Amino acid sequence: MAVPALSGTQAAILAAYAELIEEVGSDDVSFRLVARRAGIAERTVFRNYPSRVDLLLATATWIDTTVFAREESHSIFDIPLAIRDAMQRYDARPELAHVVAEAAMRGVSGAAPSSGRARLERLLDAEVPSLDAAQRRAVIEALSHLDSAATWVTFRREFGMDRRDIADAAAWAAEAMLDSIRDRVAP
Amino acid sequence: MEESVDTATAILESAAILLRERTFDDISYRALADKVGISERTIYRQYPTRAHLLAALSNWIEQTRVPLPPFVTVADFRAAVHERFRAFDASPAYAYVSARASAISPTLDAEPAYITRAIEAMLDVAAPTLNRRDRRRVAASLRYFSSAMFWARLRTGFDLDAGEICDAFDRAVGAVLARLLDATWAEP
Repeated sequence: MAVPALSGTQAAILAAYAELIEEVGSDDVSFRLVARRAGIAERTVFRNYPSRVDLLLATATWIDTTVFAREESHSIFDIPLAIRDAMQRYDARPELAHVVAEAAMRGVSGAAPSSGRARLERLLDAEVPSLDAAQRRAVIEALSHLDSAATWVTFRREFGMDRRDIADAAAWAAEAMLDSIRDRVAP
Repeated sequence: MEESVDTATAILESAAILLRERTFDDISYRALADKVGISERTIYRQYPTRAHLLAALSNWIEQTRVPLPPFVTVADFRAAVHERFRAFDASPAYAYVSARASAISPTLDAEPAYITRAIEAMLDVAAPTLNRRDRRRVAASLRYFSSAMFWARLRTGFDLDAGEICDAFDRAVGAVLARLLDATWAEP
């Protein structure tokens, strides 16, 4: 994922906002509170993030690449394991998982909705280069969708699943997406 | 003053109209109050935070603007989801509201959506002998690939149209169901 380089001040702002989201929820955090927590002036926050939405999206990206950073997978067939780990991390930080999930669902004005797509394409092309375009696309789309905080949110909210069940179901679904290409690896 | 249920609905109707010209973030309570012809305070009473408004608006849109056709069989389920995805294509703003509302931290009632119960009921009939864990795995996967979130991700992240998104949905559903043995399925 392309992570924009942050200044020290920006990193402090985003970390402060993430902390406050976990303490009081994303609705109730004022710029003044963020500034105080980061130990800077309120106008410095505004200068870096002119609106609430700017701040929220930058924070979601920061959370996703630091708190929820993925361990590097070396094979597309390792992705289900990475997804299982990711679900456990989301479950440990539920407020932050909701922020990341929502940021990706804001449509054109939101965060990148499939931030891991390029990585998945690289792995798939290296290992299973013989797929036709439609098969390749289907695998990438489905795995991108599963490897996200929205999976954790949906499984928890709609099915009342706990950490273990969510990790299991998400990894199981990812394995299903790989079933049709398991024996098609380039020799 | 007693506020009727109609005030709550009138607010949502107006919000849905405003969605045609601006994003949810750009719909202020002030503008919404003007549009409905009520005070801003009345809106706050109905929807104390924007998260409440978003959740209610999404429910109302799903029920009245992009209603899901009822389904019993897997074939009907696929057709119903195709129809909803095409409706999202015609009104992307509705889909984004729905996708976003399903991602936020639940406000008050975290009732599962109608489609969740319908998928569970479908599997109860179609695969009565399937064990509980596999049933939940299948239900959760089908639910997630039939969501506004899937439509929104494929639209903004992959730039797909409704036909392509329906195709991606069909392939994902096929991959999930292919994990079950043929004997799982009840004779029709």
